[in-house]
Amino acid sequence: MVSREGFLATVRQAAQQGRSYRVHLRPVPDEIGYLGAEGDLCERFAAEVNAVGGEAFVVADLETAGRQLHSLLAEAGAQSAVCWKHEVLDRLGLAELLAAPGVARWDYDALAGLPAEQRLQRLLACEVGITSCDWAIAETGTLVMCSRPGQERLASLIAPMHIAIVERQQIVPDLIDVIRMLGADKLPSNVTLITGPSKTGDIELQLTTGVHGPGKWRVIVVNER
Amino acid sequence: MTDYLRETHHEFEAASATALADPNLQRILGQLNDTLGRRNRDAWAALPNSDLMREKARAIKDETLAELDKHLETLERSVLGRGGHVHWAVDGAEACRIIVELIQRRGATKVVKSKSMTSEEIHLNHALEHAGIEAVETDLGEYIIQLAGHRPSHIVAPAIHLSAGEIATILSKPAGERLPAEREVLAGFARRALRQKFAEAEVGISGANFAIAETGSIVLVTNEGNGRLTCALPPCHIAVMGVEKVIPRLADLPHFLKVLARGATGQKLSIYTQIITGPRQPDELDGPEEFHLVILDNGRSRILGTPLRESLFCIRCGACLNVCPIYRSVGGHAYGGVYAGPIGAVLTPLYDGLAANHHLPHASSLCGACQAACPVKIQIPDLLIKLREQLHDEPEQRSRLEDLAYGLWARMLRSPRLYRWSTWLATRTIGRWKRKSPWIKRLPAKLSGWTKSRDFPAPAPERFRDWWRKEGGNG
Repeated sequence: MVSREGFLATVRQAAQQGRSYRVHLRPVPDEIGYLGAEGDLCERFAAEVNAVGGEAFVVADLETAGRQLHSLLAEAGAQSAVCWKHEVLDRLGLAELLAAPGVARWDYDALAGLPAEQRLQRLLACEVGITSCDWAIAETGTLVMCSRPGQERLASLIAPMHIAIVERQQIVPDLIDVIRMLGADKLPSNVTLITGPSKTGDIELQLTTGVHGPGKWRVIVVNER
Repeated sequence: MTDYLRETHHEFEAASATALADPNLQRILGQLNDTLGRRNRDAWAALPNSDLMREKARAIKDETLAELDKHLETLERSVLGRGGHVHWAVDGAEACRIIVELIQRRGATKVVKSKSMTSEEIHLNHALEHAGIEAVETDLGEYIIQLAGHRPSHIVAPAIHLSAGEIATILSKPAGERLPAEREVLAGFARRALRQKFAEAEVGISGANFAIAETGSIVLVTNEGNGRLTCALPPCHIAVMGVEKVIPRLADLPHFLKVLARGATGQKLSIYTQIITGPRQPDELDGPEEFHLVILDNGRSRILGTPLRESLFCIRCGACLNVCPIYRSVGGHAYGGVYAGPIGAVLTPLYDGLAANHHLPHASSLCGACQAACPVKIQIPDLLIKLREQLHDEPEQRSRLEDLAYGLWARMLRSPRLYRWSTWLATRTIGRWKRKSPWIKRLPAKLSGWTKSRDFPAPAPERFRDWWRKEGGNG
């Protein structure tokens, strides 16, 4: 067994030797990867969500968003939903929207008190997961999800349908904008970028959706300035 | 040299012949260039500045490798700062031992794994099984080949060698009923069966596509979601990565994410990209309580100081496989190692020994499609030629006849008079005898090695210089 120091000493020596074989390149500026999104960010984001196999609904205000959510819950045949606690969902009035059709709401407050085993069983039984996001990326149709109490990782993952409610001001043009805002010094324990419903090409290269994550990915975009 | 890439050596030629005679395999491989290969080309064509973007990613790799030890130390410091643990493994056996000990220390026996080529490289499943630990692969393709006892045949599509019918047969066993060869049914069964495994698992094991030194994060890129479940449900997460996966800064990450998925599948981004920084924070309800990072050398430092260092730029997207005329004919298993295709023809001889894999550097037509598809523009044909050169100097591979033939060839090319004479002779003899067909079907003696699998072009009946003079050209 070689010590940590021995390991690193070997790497150090090799890295030094390897410098004579560096590939010589002209310097490439940092901005080169920035693609951004032209035109209306909302429209572009929604178009990209549809392009990657999701379904986007652009609505004018939160009230219409609520009606849209209602019909998606009916489509999923939802009895119970795992939900984020998020300011956008509060303004949407999620609690009332779920209470009316009798959908059980499993959010941080409801889950935290349960023993781990029971909590998992509740979550596995949910038909939908309802979240907002920290940011959305217009260029790629991506949701950016930061983990923290109230923003559980499983909410966007464990149910067959994931519904996200995104407001206009959450949408940024490019992935590079998100990385800049995340900042290297204050990363949450988990940042997940979601760009589409769960997919696999493992059987004869043919696309099959919903193998582990949600096969149905619905995004309600509230286009309110 | 240790043989850690596979159980037994086997011959590329024999394995290729088997693959070429398998109609199912040929049918599936025949689709590669029109699906994944085309999506890769379309993605580069649609991306503004695609060449410079790939060069950017390449430059970061080059820069990082020049100071790899420093970046690894920074990574260690950052992981520790976020409450994770770091382990150093010189080779595969040590990595396996570390991982088995970590699992046993928790008294755990049930493990779920998300897809990791590094864990394949070190034969981790074998070691876990040996220690009485149940390790279930959860990527659909990996789950299928684990049940079948196969090695992966593609970096990102490990079960590509199996037809839907064969997969149905394999999955019917754990299902306890005859499953139809329908993709949705098969994927649906895997989802249900693996949910149970996720719920019971005490440890999740993953690889890492990247590790960010300044933040102590590992980055996992997947499409199915099993990678997310692996890092969300079990109370302990162990990630294993090769030393070359480290990148210095968080700001470097988008440069790789933007080219990785485009290279692999033509997507702008893969479905799920996780940036994981340490275990869960206080009051979080999901995510692991314990995080371990196992950093593996396993021959990489031996390559780092050599002209083949560029092979360490590889981000394991599989793009070079999808476009390679050789891979698309013989499939992944013919290469013998864990890594197949053009990059496998470089990596396997480097990790596993050149003489033992002497066919692989030659398993390429050097057409350059791999390099054109590569998101970090690795000059794979150049690397293969370098390996061929090294192979020439291997004592076991030395051939006096070959040395003699090439010696004469070189002498002839150095002398204009001899060259003119030799081309005159070739056109007047073979060139004139072979007027009906310009192809020679069989060469004599030792040279028959060439014509066993392809025709040899005969010299033309007339030299170019003679034709040029006749046409009135001057010079």
